[in-house]
Amino acid sequence: MFKIEILMKKGYKNSHGEHILSDICGIGIKNITKVEYSPLYVIDGDISSVETETIAAELLSDKITETYTVNSCSQTNCGQSLPSKPAINNSMNCIVEVWYKKGVTDTVSGSVVKAVKDLGISKKIEVKTGHKYYLHGKISQTILNKIVIKLLANTLIQEYKIK
Amino acid sequence: MKSAVNCKIIEILNLSDNQLIKLSRNNVLSLSIEEMREIQKYFEKLKINPTDIEIETIAQAWSEHCKHKTLTGIIEYTEYADVQTKRTYNNLLKETIFKATVELNKKWCLSVFKDNAGVIEFDSKNGVAFKVETHNHPSALEPYGGSATGIGGAIRDILGVGLGAKPLANTDVFCFGDPNTKAYKIPEGMHHPKRIAKSVVSGVRDYGNRMGIPTVNGAVYFDDGYMANPLVYCGTMGIIPKNKIEKKVNSEDLILVVGGRTGRDGIHGATFSSIQLDQESDVSAVQIGNPIIEKKVLDAMLKARDLNLYRAVTDCGAGGLSSAVGELGEKTGVVVYLDKVPLKYSGLSPWEIWISEAQERMVFVVPPKNKNRIVEIFEKENVEAVFIGKFTRDKKLTLKYNNDVIASMDMEFLHNGVPKPTRYAVYKIKEEKLQKPVKMSVGEISKALKALLSDLNICSKEWIIRQYDHEVQGQTVVKPLQGNNIGISGPGDAAVIFPYTVIKGTKKGIVLSNGLNPQYGKINTYKMAASVIEESLRNAAAVGADIEKVAVLDNFCWGNPNKPEILGSLVRAANACYDMSKAFDIPFISGKDSLNNEYSIGGKKYSIPPALLISAVGVIEDVSKTVTMPLKNKDNKIFLIGITRNELGGSVFAKINNIKDGVVPDVYPKESKDIMKKIYRAINKNLIESCHDCSEGGFAVAVSEMAFAAGKGVVINTDAVKTEDVSMSPAEILFSESNGRFIVEVKHKNEFKFQEIFKGAVFAEVGYVGDNENIVFESKKNKIKVKENAENLLKIWQSTLNW
Amino acid sequence: MKKVKVLILRTAGTNCDYETQAAFELCGGFVERIHINALIEKKDKIFEYDILACPGGFSYGDDIASGKILSNEVKNKLGDKVKKFALSGKPIIGICNGFQVFVKMGLLPDPNIFEQISTLSYNDSDKFECRWVYLKTEKRINGESNCIWTKKLPDIVSLPVAHGEGKFIPNDKKLLDALNKNNQIVFRYTSKDGGKPEYPLNPNGSVEQIAAVSNIKGNVFGLMPHPERYVFTLQHPAREGFDSEYGWGKVIFQNAVDFVK
Repeated sequence: MFKIEILMKKGYKNSHGEHILSDICGIGIKNITKVEYSPLYVIDGDISSVETETIAAELLSDKITETYTVNSCSQTNCGQSLPSKPAINNSMNCIVEVWYKKGVTDTVSGSVVKAVKDLGISKKIEVKTGHKYYLHGKISQTILNKIVIKLLANTLIQEYKIK
Repeated sequence: MKSAVNCKIIEILNLSDNQLIKLSRNNVLSLSIEEMREIQKYFEKLKINPTDIEIETIAQAWSEHCKHKTLTGIIEYTEYADVQTKRTYNNLLKETIFKATVELNKKWCLSVFKDNAGVIEFDSKNGVAFKVETHNHPSALEPYGGSATGIGGAIRDILGVGLGAKPLANTDVFCFGDPNTKAYKIPEGMHHPKRIAKSVVSGVRDYGNRMGIPTVNGAVYFDDGYMANPLVYCGTMGIIPKNKIEKKVNSEDLILVVGGRTGRDGIHGATFSSIQLDQESDVSAVQIGNPIIEKKVLDAMLKARDLNLYRAVTDCGAGGLSSAVGELGEKTGVVVYLDKVPLKYSGLSPWEIWISEAQERMVFVVPPKNKNRIVEIFEKENVEAVFIGKFTRDKKLTLKYNNDVIASMDMEFLHNGVPKPTRYAVYKIKEEKLQKPVKMSVGEISKALKALLSDLNICSKEWIIRQYDHEVQGQTVVKPLQGNNIGISGPGDAAVIFPYTVIKGTKKGIVLSNGLNPQYGKINTYKMAASVIEESLRNAAAVGADIEKVAVLDNFCWGNPNKPEILGSLVRAANACYDMSKAFDIPFISGKDSLNNEYSIGGKKYSIPPALLISAVGVIEDVSKTVTMPLKNKDNKIFLIGITRNELGGSVFAKINNIKDGVVPDVYPKESKDIMKKIYRAINKNLIESCHDCSEGGFAVAVSEMAFAAGKGVVINTDAVKTEDVSMSPAEILFSESNGRFIVEVKHKNEFKFQEIFKGAVFAEVGYVGDNENIVFESKKNKIKVKENAENLLKIWQSTLNW
Repeated sequence: MKKVKVLILRTAGTNCDYETQAAFELCGGFVERIHINALIEKKDKIFEYDILACPGGFSYGDDIASGKILSNEVKNKLGDKVKKFALSGKPIIGICNGFQVFVKMGLLPDPNIFEQISTLSYNDSDKFECRWVYLKTEKRINGESNCIWTKKLPDIVSLPVAHGEGKFIPNDKKLLDALNKNNQIVFRYTSKDGGKPEYPLNPNGSVEQIAAVSNIKGNVFGLMPHPERYVFTLQHPAREGFDSEYGWGKVIFQNAVDFVK
C-alpha cells in the first residue's frame, strides 16, 4: 500500500490553500498566517513502488507546477503517516488530513483506477483520496478543532486526523 | 411461500397501538398510527406477518414525499376575517391548483401533473419539459452533497419525463440564514449559514457544470428563519420530441437498471424527508453524487431513445428502486430479482438494495426483442446496464432474492391503500394598516437607496452566478447577469434559451423566470402567493415573453402541517394559486411540496417562514426580439408603467427602516395582465430598448439597476409617477413594492407608436437617460433632489456578497 | 469544393460537443461526434477527417486535474495517430477542456516534442468563473495572425470563458521567449482599450496574459475562451458581432473550414 502526496512546487501559488486561509479569517480566526493544501492518494493492491512512482509522476501530479512524495505504508498507519521529508518544519504548524469515512462513495477514486489502466498498469488496485492541510500559525487545540469542523471536514461523511 | 433466509419477519399481527407506533419510529418508517393499523389489517387478512422488505416498501410508497398525503388528504379549514368561514377539502391540490389547470384546459399543455415533469408545446414537433424539486433536509446536513444530489435529481426528472428529454438549462433558488450571524448564535450541531450557502453553491456548481447544463435563473433569499433549515430548490428544463412524451408498460417487458451502482446511500431519504431535523438526524440519509455517471447515462440514453429501444423510463429518486419500479408496474405487476442489482460493495440486505437512494440510476422498460441492442449502446459508453426483472400480469409486487420470494403484495394496496388523514387548518386574516407617512430628507433617501442596494436580498448574486457555467451549450441569449458581462452588470429579469443546437433552424426561444417572497408570507400568505405568481410572469414579460404562452410550477416549502395555523396559511396560498391561475389564464403544469420544514433548538420547535416558489416557463416566438435591462442610449425616454400604490408592507424598505405597519402589495390581475400583453406587443414591434420590472426595493432600486448595469446616468422626476394615493411621499413612491410595474426605455422616434399601444393602461413618462453617470431622483413638489453616481451604486450593489 | 470532414472527439464528461458541432456546420463542415472508445477501436479512422476538435467539458469529471485523465488516455492509446495528424498540418482545435488535454499530453505548444512543457493551472481566484473577456489578437506577421484559426479577426475581440483551471504557465523563461519569438501566442487577455488587464479582465492570472497558443506551424490551436458560444450576435451580452447576424467566434471555425477547402 502506498500513500502519495502532491505538493505545489516552490514559486507557484497554492490557490486552494489561500482560499482556505481567507475562509479561516472569515470565521474570525486571526492567528493562522498561511495555509498549504495537498491532495492525497492511497493506492492499495499488488503494485510495485516503481509503478507507484510512475502513477504519481505521470498521472497524479502536474509536471510543471507540482511535485510528489510516495511512501509505503500499512493499513493501520496510512491515514496518519506524514511524509518522510515534511515540506514545512516548524513547531508552530499543524497538519490536518481529511478522508472519507468507510462506505461513503469516493467518486475520484474510480477515475484514478481507470487512468492507471490507461497508463498500461493493468494490476487490480484500490484507491482512496484525501486532503491534507498545512496550517501555519500559533493556535490552540480548541481553535484548531473549530477550523477543522467548521471548514475542513464534514464529520458526517469525513474523518480527520490532526498532527 | 415467503422465505426468511434473506429477510426478517416483522411481528405486526399482534401489536397494540403503542407497539405499532414504536415499530414505525424505531424503523424510521414515518408512518402514522392510522397507517400502521391499515397495514396490520392487510396482513391480518393474509394471516401472515410481513417481511422487513414488505414493511419498508409500504413505508416508501406511502411516504409524504411520494404520496403528498397532506395536500391530497382531507382538510377541515376555518378562516377568520370579519366573518368566520369553513370549508372542507377532500383533496386540496385537486380542488385548487390542479382544478385551475383542468378548467383552463390549454391545448398547448402536453403533459400536466402526471409525469416526472410538466410539458408544454415548443413547436409542431417538440415540447418543453420543466420540473423544480426541493432538497432541503439533506442540504442542512451535508450542504455540498445535498445540493449536488438535488440538482442531479432535478436533471434525472427531465431525463425521466416521457421517454427522456434533453436538459437545456437549470435553475436554482435558495433560502439561507443570515450569513453574517455570529458563530455562537448557531444551534449546536448545525452548520453556519455562510458555510451552508458556500457549500450549497459549490454543490450545484460542480454538478451542473459537469453535466454541461447552464444554470441560468435563480434567486437567493436570506432570512434567519432558514438558519437551521435551509431551502434548496433545483430545477431543470429540457426539450423532448412530441412523439416521445407517452410512456407504456407491457406485461413481459424487462426491467433494466442503468447508471450508478447501489450502496447504502440515502437509505430512508423519502421517509426521512418527512421528519423534523434535530441533532441526531440519520447519517445514512446522505447521498453522494457523481455527475459524470449521469452525463454518460444522458449521452447514451438519448441514442437508445431515438432508436425506440424502450417503452418507458423513470428515474430512481426518493424511495429508490422501490418507488421507480413500483410506479412503472402499478397496472401490470412486477417481479424483481434483487440479487441482480449491481452493488457498490457487498453486505447490503435485500431491503436496503430495494429502497437505497444511491444516485444516478434510471429504470428502463425494455421489450424483450431489444434486450441485446440496448445494453450494447450503454456498454459502448461505459455505462452499466443490468436487467433485474420483468413486468407481469398478476398486479402483484413480487421480490426475489437468490430465488426466495421475500415480498409479495398487491399493487392496489401499495398504491391506493394509504388511509386519507384528516387535518385541521385555520387562518386568521391580519388587518394591514397603512404606515405613518414616511417623510425623508435627501440624505435619508440616499442612505435608504444604498442600504437597499446592499441588502442581502437585493444585492448582486454575481459571486454565485459566475461560478455556474451559465453559457454552456451556447444557447443562453438572455443571461442572468446583464451589462457588458465583464465589470459592469445588472440583474436580468428572466433567462432566455435559444435551442439552436437541438432544433436546427428554429427562431424560437424558451423563457425561464421565478417569483419568491417569504417576507410577504409572514403577513399574508394569500398576497405572497399572488405576488410571486405575478412576479414570475412579470419577469418573463420583461424580456419579451408572451404570457399567453407561459405556464407555471409551484413549490411549497412549509412547516409542520399538523399545526392548524401553518396548514391554514398553506390553504390560503393554494387558494391564491387557483385564483391567479384563472385570472391570468396561466396553467400550472407541475409542482411539488416539502412539508415539515421544522427544526428544534434547545427542545423548542420552530417552523420555517412559509415559502412558495413559482417558476415560470414559456415559449418565445422570435428570440431576436427579446430585450435586456441595461439602459441603451442617452436622451431616450423612461416610462414607468403601472400604478404605484402605497404598499410598503413586507417590503425590504420597511424591514431596513423598521417600519412595522404597511400594506402588503396586492395583485390586480386584470390591470396587470393587460400591461404584460402590451409590453409584449411593444417589445415585439421593437419599440422598447430596455425593460426591467419593479420588485424588491421598488422603483428606485429598479431604475438604479438599469443605469449602473449600463454605466449610464438617468434623470427621474418622481412627481410624474402615477400613484393611487396623491399624498404619497417621494420615499413611498420610490420604495413601495407595488406589483405589476415595469420601467421601459423608449427612443424619441418610437414614442408615438409606443403610446398608441399603451392606451388604456396607466403609465407615465418619468425621465430620460442622462449623458453622464449621475442617477438623479427629483421631486420639485417636495424640493428634493437625490443625486448618486452610477459606478458608486454599482460597487455598493456588488460588494455585499463577495466571498 | 471539397467536403470538409470534422471529427469532434468526445468522452464521459464532454459537454460542449453539440455547440462546437453547430459552429462547424454553420461554416459548411460535415461533423461527426465520435466517442473515444470507438476511435480506439479503429485508430486509423482519424485520418478520414480533415479537422480534429477536442471540445470543452469536464472529461472524466476533471478528477485529479482538468483534462488530465483524457490526456493520459489519448496519449497512451492514440498518441502516435494524433501526433501524425498534427504534424501533417491539418487543423486541430482544443477548446477549454480540449486545450487542457492538449497541453497536458504535450500536443501543445510543440507536437514535435510531444511532451508536457507547459500547464494550465488553478485560477488565482481558486474558483470556476464564467464571464466574457477581451482578447488581443497577436498579429506579428504582416499584420496577420500566425495561426490558421485566427486570421481576419479584429485586434480586440470579445469571447466568453468558463473554467476553474485556465492559468497558463510555461515550464521556464526559455519556453516563454520561444513562444513569443515564434508567434505561438495567439490571444492574450486584455482590457477594453488593449491595456494591461487586472482581474477579472485576466480571469485566471495567466503568465503574460496568455489565453491561447498554437504550434509554430499554426495548425494546432488551443484556447481557454469558447468561440463556439459566440457564433451569433444574439449570444453576445450587447448583441454585437461582425455583422448583424454572426458573432466573431464563427470566423475562427470558418478559417479552418476554408483552409481545408
